[in-house]
Order: sequence, then structure tokens, then C-alpha cells
Amino acid sequence: MASTTKPVENLEESGFLHDPEVQLMLRAKQGDDEAFTKLVATYQDRLTTIFFHMRQNQEAAEDLVQDVFLRIYRARHGYEPTARFSTWLFRIANNLAINSRRNKSRRKEVPIPAGESTAMTGLPVAGQNLADKSGLQPTRQLDKRELQLVVQKAIEQLSDQQRLSVLLHKFEGMSYAEIAETMELSVPAIKSLLSRARDSLRTALEPYMQLGKEKR
Amino acid sequence: MEKTVRLNADQREDLVAYLDGELPDEQVKQIDHVVANSAVARHEMEALARTWELLDVLPPSKASDDFLTKTMANLKVLETPFRLTDQWWFVPVRRVFAIAGWITALFLCGWLGFQITRHWIADPHAILLNDLPVIENLDHLQEVRELEFLNELKRANLFDDAQEK
Repeated sequence: MASTTKPVENLEESGFLHDPEVQLMLRAKQGDDEAFTKLVATYQDRLTTIFFHMRQNQEAAEDLVQDVFLRIYRARHGYEPTARFSTWLFRIANNLAINSRRNKSRRKEVPIPAGESTAMTGLPVAGQNLADKSGLQPTRQLDKRELQLVVQKAIEQLSDQQRLSVLLHKFEGMSYAEIAETMELSVPAIKSLLSRARDSLRTALEPYMQLGKEKR
Repeated sequence: MEKTVRLNADQREDLVAYLDGELPDEQVKQIDHVVANSAVARHEMEALARTWELLDVLPPSKASDDFLTKTMANLKVLETPFRLTDQWWFVPVRRVFAIAGWITALFLCGWLGFQITRHWIADPHAILLNDLPVIENLDHLQEVRELEFLNELKRANLFDDAQEK
């Protein structure tokens, strides 16, 4: 959660002080709003990408990103650099995603009608209809949009934890250890999680691999 | 290793970690050996690598243009201290309280006036009522010539009886 982690006994020895984003956060802690603005600007798109692929909804993704920053801002006075800033930030994002998923399943969200989905998912309605109608037969030529849709569907089929670990690894380039720290799991658990995720992706995407190769 | 034997779960996990460069050197050698000697492992590794590359088609999402401005504005609101006078309901509630205050003050003034009138301005009838036993017995009292005799009557509670009657 946004509440800060264990206090660091010796900040100089924490090793994270060299992280420029930790420096910005420490400035924000002292009341420097400009530093905080820089952090928001640096991470807004990166977080939106992760949340968008988690929720398949641009608006919901932006709301969650804003929530992450609100939590960090509220917790800034008690901030202690016990990890890289990005690890701390994505840990908060992970907790928020879990909570929002929990709330969502309690509320039973009403699905958005197909005609309104373009702005939300970022994918063309025509492409979605086409995919539904054709079942996206691998033998047919796929354009890039359709390929995106296929990959997105494959990502959607993963469990929340698998999906997040894949996204952090793919888009954030995090190591297993960093993902483990972010998701508060062990490194072997992440190794197993990613292995199963990639196995599922392989099963879902293997028929399109050759086509994907041609398109990219 | 036999060329067509499928990989077990541990080997598959190691294969993914191998592709991600997350395997310790010792295990890297083992996987190198497995891949070199198993067509299945090689196929598996290629498929995993290519599906992973396929994720590159996913477009990075972008926050809306006014996201930064909106977020910072919301943070500012969060920081603004709560002031009673800024609340929308403050003015009507204050008006209601003012009217109620005036009504209470008026009522108190009326009640106070009544009490003052009652206690401080003498009632002419009260004097008459107070002297009523004397007035009623005036004829008898006029016949009394000595004070000592009246005191005797008083000591005998004769006036009290008369008052009670």
C-alpha cells in the first residue's frame, strides 16, 4: 500500500539514494511540488500502459494511475528510500490493481456496448467485429491491428498475477528479483509464474507466429 | 537426452529463465546441453522466444494530454485545508442559526420581562390579601384594649385558626 516501508537506519548506506527518482521523491517529501510533477510526468504513460493492459480500459487505467499518484503524494511525508523508486511505485500500483479487481468483482461491472468501446480499449470496433466474425483464422492474412487484438486477447487470458509479471518484464524490463520485490513474492515464484504465463501465451499465439513475423 | 522427449516442468521453467538471462551459470550450461541435444527443447525455445517477441506489437498506452495538469490540480485540492466557510451549506445553515437565535432571544426577553413584572412591581391586591385576617376580624380586634391580651391570643394560636378558617 502507499504507506511507507520500514525506516532506513542509515540513509547513506541504503544504496537507493543514487536513484535520481528517489532524489526527486525526497525533494517532494520536503515540499517540492515541481519534483513531484517530474515524477508524475515520468511515470504517467508507463503506468497507464500497465493498467491499460490489466483492465483493457483507458479511462479505468487513467483513474488507477491517478490513484497511485494520490497515494504516493499523501504518503510522501513518511517516505523512506528502502527500494528503487520504480519498485516502490509499481508495488503500490500492484496493490491498487488487486484492490480494484476485488471491488470490481463485488460491483459486477456492466460491460460497455461494442459501439462505445473504441475510446475505451483503443482498438477499432471494426477490428473487433472482424475478429469475432472470422474467429481470426490464422491462415488468413492479418493486419497489424488484428495481430494486436490477438495478442491482447492472449494477454487477457492470463491470470492477474501472470499478466502483471509479464507486463513488468516486457514493458518495464524488470528482472525477476525486481518483479518479486514489486509483487511481494519470492524469485522462484516469479520464475514459475512467468514460465506458466509464457507457456499459455505460446499456446495462444503459436498459430499466428509466422504471420506476426511477416507483419513486424 | 533423447531428441524427441518432452521437457518436464522444471526444465521448461529453466528454459524461460534461460531466455530471460535469469539462470545461474551452472544451470545455463545444463540448458545449453539440453538444447544442443534435444530437437523438442530447441523447438520449445524458439516458440517461446518468438511468442515473446510477438508482444512487441502491443502499443504502449499514453495518458491523456491533460492528465498531468488534472492530477496535480487534484493533489492541490487534497492539500487545501478544510475551511468551514468554504462549504456550500455554510451560508444557509448560518442563516437558519441566525433566525433561531433571534427567536430565542425574543422569547427570553419576554420571559424575563414577565418575571421582572411579577416580582418587582407590587400587586395592590397582594397587600389586601395579606391583611385579610385582620380585616375580617376588625370588629373583634377593635374591642381589644390591651396589647398583652392580644399577645395571649396569638400565643394560643387563635389567629392561625382564624386564618385557616
